[in-house]
Amino acid sequence: MPDLPEQADRRALGGPGVVLVVVYGVLALAATGRSVLQISEYFSRAPLAYLLSAFAALVYIVATVSLARGGRWVRVGVVACTIELVGVLVVGTVSYLVPEAFPDKTVWSHFGAGYGYVPLVLPGLGLWWFRRVDRSGADVLSSPESAPGPGRG
Amino acid sequence: MFAPIAYGIVALAVVLCVVAVYYVIRDRLIDNLVVVLALVVEAALLVQLAIGLTGVGRIDDGAEQATYIAYLITLPLIPVGTAFLAIKEKSRWAMGSLAVGAFAVAVMTARLLQIWSFSA
Repeated sequence: MPDLPEQADRRALGGPGVVLVVVYGVLALAATGRSVLQISEYFSRAPLAYLLSAFAALVYIVATVSLARGGRWVRVGVVACTIELVGVLVVGTVSYLVPEAFPDKTVWSHFGAGYGYVPLVLPGLGLWWFRRVDRSGADVLSSPESAPGPGRG
Repeated sequence: MFAPIAYGIVALAVVLCVVAVYYVIRDRLIDNLVVVLALVVEAALLVQLAIGLTGVGRIDDGAEQATYIAYLITLPLIPVGTAFLAIKEKSRWAMGSLAVGAFAVAVMTARLLQIWSFSA
């Protein structure tokens, strides 16, 4: 790998990571916009579901930022993806067992069926990618000329 | 007026997606054709946003309305963002993200159409 310094700079964004950033970004935007409107306009209808939506949206934003920035953000991203995975599994299960708790669809209810099950698959992909970045990052950081540059974007 | 534009966007986004996938397969980087296509989709999405916002009132269901507005506003950000990434990154994967973004535009616009027609 001759272009190591460059890779150190963009290691979270290069390669398949860029696709993940886009998917996460779209989901984060859509979920945030929706939950802002839900909470400001119809909060009393399903407070739990809407708060969960807002929380999920927030986690997606954190994951998107972590994917795009890499470096120290990798650890944050791993936490965010883990929360997502737990969230989609727990809320998905609960939404089937206690459907009246989720009168409106949220990102995580029914295992993300409303979003083509993307929320179910995404945390796995995210964790896989962070793992890869983390490994290559360990290699890169051990070389002296790869001082962490200023953040991109 | 909303539905024809939305159908047009779905068609255009599918074209953009197919072209981008073709570029990924042939390992070609973003060029003028793709940029122009993305700009056409973008322009149509902005028109859709303007027309769509004037029709918010006809959607009665609160949850659907929230989705509708959120998608209307999110959609124009996608072609710009992915095209910007593809220009900046110059990689096969960046072209792939353009394809994924175009697919998301098609799906989200189809969802808008669904909400729109159910509330007619």
